[in-house]
Amino acid sequence: MPCCHERTRGLIGQEKPQYKEVMSWKKFFFAFIAAFVVLFVFGFLWYATLMHDAHREVPTLLRPEADLKSYFKWLVLGQFVMAFFFTVLCARYVPGGRAGAGAMLGFLVGLVYAGPHLISFAVQPLTFKILCGWIAGAVIQFTIAGAVVGAIYKPAAGHLMYVKERSR
Amino acid sequence: MKRFILAFIAAYIFLFVWGWLLNGVLLKDLYAETPNLWRSQSEMAGLFHWIVIGQALVVFSFVMIYASGFAGGGVLAGIRLGVLLELAAIGMRLGFYAVQPIPGRLILYGSIGGLIEMVIVGAMVGAIYKPASAGTS
Repeated sequence: MPCCHERTRGLIGQEKPQYKEVMSWKKFFFAFIAAFVVLFVFGFLWYATLMHDAHREVPTLLRPEADLKSYFKWLVLGQFVMAFFFTVLCARYVPGGRAGAGAMLGFLVGLVYAGPHLISFAVQPLTFKILCGWIAGAVIQFTIAGAVVGAIYKPAAGHLMYVKERSR
Repeated sequence: MKRFILAFIAAYIFLFVWGWLLNGVLLKDLYAETPNLWRSQSEMAGLFHWIVIGQALVVFSFVMIYASGFAGGGVLAGIRLGVLLELAAIGMRLGFYAVQPIPGRLILYGSIGGLIEMVIVGAMVGAIYKPASAGTS
């Protein structure tokens, strides 16, 4: 069953015809997979490789290397959940698709998630280097993911539904 | 712009009070179970301004996203945005759970609290912020 989201809204109580875009599930799926790959690969390169030494400066905050393998499934699940809902957000925010608009949304989402990093710095014994790395990582990661989703996701071409809005 | 500032201030006040209630009161005992993961009270007090800046950044970015893509949808659009952002944030929490020895209950309760927080923040922003054209019609 196609999912629609409204592009125009009528005044309250007024019956007004409008167009609704039909979600392209196939493109959504590809965009979601691409977002997952971007988040996962960037996360590995940035947090696990580039920031590896910085993270080792606070060993009490991290699980021991031996434990990380058994918790890896939570990391994958977390990236999966993050990629899915971020793709849903992009599909709603930039339904026409566009890499630039997706990147802008990703940048703002990155800032939303940079806020909790600042709070973590105040309550956890993190170093300033880690704080800067996490903030830059969040912003860059979501900006790239947003650009990729924006470039891939487009609503179903030629499938604009003409509907009548109900009186509210 | 006036409504943007009003939405920001209202949501910020809620986020600040809710953050204190959730983390400083309701989950206090749970945090106390893992003292090695947290700074001492005196250290936290000295870094309190980072909490203020962090919360302001969350609210500012939220209102920016709402204003540029969801405005006009009202309370429901605000709640929808809050829920989507928080559900993605739960994914981020799971990532932290994988690498930090944070108790699973703290992740669970933090996520429930975060969801309530973002629903209310979204509702407030959606109710207060109106695009300029809607305000004049």
